[in-house]
Amino acid sequence: MRSSPLTRRGLLAAGCGLAATTLPALSGCSALAASEGAPDTLVVHSQLGTTAPGSATYLRALDRFRAENPGLKVKNLVNGDDLAQVYETARLARKEPDVVMVNLYDKTLAWTDVGATVDVKGYLDDWGLRERVLPQALAAWTDGRDRLRAFPYFATNWPVAYNRALLDRAGVTEIPATGDELIRAARKLRAKGTAPVTVGGNDWTGQKLLAQIIQTFLTEDEARHAYSSGDFGSRGARQGIDYFVELRDSGVFTDKPQGLTSDSMMTQFNTQTAAIESAMSSALAEVPERVARHTDVGGWPLADGAVHDKPTILRSYTLIGFWVSPNGTKKIDAVEKFLRFMYRADTVSAFITESGRDMAVRSDALSTDFPLVAAAQRLGSDVGQALLPDVYVPPTANQPLITATSTSFTRGVSAARVRAALEAAYR
Amino acid sequence: MKFGKRWIPAHLLVWSYAVLLLVPLYYFLASAFKSNEEIFAHPFALPDSFGLGNFSTAFSSADLGLAVVNSALVTSVALVLTLALALPAAFALARSTGRLASAVEKVFSLGFLIPTFAALFPTFLLAAATGLFHTRTFMVLFLPATAMPLSVVILIQFMRTVPREMEEAARMDGASTYAVLRHVYAPMCLPGIATVLLLNFLTFWNEYLYSLVIIGPDPAQRTVQVALPTLKAITGTDYGVLTAGTVLTLVPVWIVYTVLQRRMQQALVSGAVKM
Repeated sequence: MRSSPLTRRGLLAAGCGLAATTLPALSGCSALAASEGAPDTLVVHSQLGTTAPGSATYLRALDRFRAENPGLKVKNLVNGDDLAQVYETARLARKEPDVVMVNLYDKTLAWTDVGATVDVKGYLDDWGLRERVLPQALAAWTDGRDRLRAFPYFATNWPVAYNRALLDRAGVTEIPATGDELIRAARKLRAKGTAPVTVGGNDWTGQKLLAQIIQTFLTEDEARHAYSSGDFGSRGARQGIDYFVELRDSGVFTDKPQGLTSDSMMTQFNTQTAAIESAMSSALAEVPERVARHTDVGGWPLADGAVHDKPTILRSYTLIGFWVSPNGTKKIDAVEKFLRFMYRADTVSAFITESGRDMAVRSDALSTDFPLVAAAQRLGSDVGQALLPDVYVPPTANQPLITATSTSFTRGVSAARVRAALEAAYR
Repeated sequence: MKFGKRWIPAHLLVWSYAVLLLVPLYYFLASAFKSNEEIFAHPFALPDSFGLGNFSTAFSSADLGLAVVNSALVTSVALVLTLALALPAAFALARSTGRLASAVEKVFSLGFLIPTFAALFPTFLLAAATGLFHTRTFMVLFLPATAMPLSVVILIQFMRTVPREMEEAARMDGASTYAVLRHVYAPMCLPGIATVLLLNFLTFWNEYLYSLVIIGPDPAQRTVQVALPTLKAITGTDYGVLTAGTVLTLVPVWIVYTVLQRRMQQALVSGAVKM
């Protein structure tokens, strides 16, 4: 038998060599394992850092912070939708990052309660940052036991954008202020081959618009009760669902909205395939200049008997906040430096001017390069405000509510079935 | 060779099937050169330009270069470990005829019954307890464990096709057990080894959930499957960039698949002649 160049001894030696060289390289000495406990490294877990709106500004801010604090390293970890899951497992292993930048929604609602993050109220006062935050934002981030869940940072206005050029072309001279006007406008737009209202009926954009329309006949307290408990049986909630169904079956929404997502919604509006969308600030900032120049922002049209006296928009102050983890409290000096820097006027204004973000922090800066964002900021009391249900919906009901939303946007589904689908989401 | 009219339906079916496969591939590749507006408004149109802007944005934004290196490292070391463990195991089980061997073989087969997701939490606890949480080492050790049932079962079937006479001849020449594996079984089971390598490469490279939870999001360590979704934003994903990033991460898969597929076919043919 021909002797092989690879002997048993050689194979064993090669195996041991491979293990000896690769395994250490793969574990302990690599970056995350080393830096998590390092006192000179602040680990920030964020949804900003790649292509999300505001990422470029955020990365530049981090570079400035590093330059101003040469003794302090900052590691930025990025996740998208799965950030909460990744943070929670890291927390279970006691290897969580020091600061988390994420919104108050779904899983994060429970973080303060279960000790995954700490109450930051004391830090806010000790560091003298309270005056920098809008009072509404503080209220939104404070839980029922007077704990401040995180340092508020990004907010958003959520108005309705109307493409005036498309409305004019269809013969609609005034922006609809009532449901009847909206239905008439939709018919005219359809006659010209333009989709009226585009919406992601299969994701959170549809969920928010549905909630906004249902609240046409609900006071803030009633809306809070409905979305906390899943009880949509009140007279106001039933009227709101009836109003939604009437609009939907009158052809107000684009065709088959139950299959659309926020991305298809934005594209339909930005390519002028659709004339109207309900869009948050970050979406408004993405509207191309050729469309933005003949777009107006306003509120959602009301029905007769509505509890609001002006068309409504949504506003949220819980879009992104800085959560401090138990590990972060061990490096609280570094966290303080970071938070003070992020709350500084020049840092805050950079997000407004460069990225068109709405902030939960006081600033005199205006989004001059993002006219629709600025226009939404100026709406003030010209519009009514519906309640954003995010903070009130139990985490277990969030995903089922998206499914219920898709059912609701399906043409022909009765008001009773819409209500049943919404209530089933809470069971 | 002439094809008569009776072949026309077969040709039609084959070409239709080929088009059916090519259309999504074309859509995928074309989208990598487009903006969101182009993708949604004219999904099947040719891109306005073939600029590489989306590719460079994806590569730099998600730090895909480092992620590909991490994936390659984890995948290759895990593959070596898998083969190092599965080959001797399959060799022993294929040659044994006792009840214990039969029982052990069944234990390996039982591995198929464990759903991947069900093992996540115990695996996480193990990683945390061993101090290997947030390291690639754990994945390098864990991935071969998940691949053992399939690898061993496939290799056993290949090794059972090796005639006993081959081993007896080698033994008469003074070959040890290791030499029999090295010089008789391994060369004759190359198709099986190539199959195991190919299947496990695809599984290891595309693994997402465990890599996300165990290795985590640190750019210095994360694999390409964890890096890629960071290009998806909750508010306004740039699908051109996301698709370009996906294309970039598929290049290594395509290369390995092409190389191993050819080797597998060669091995199949040469194995048949040898037998």
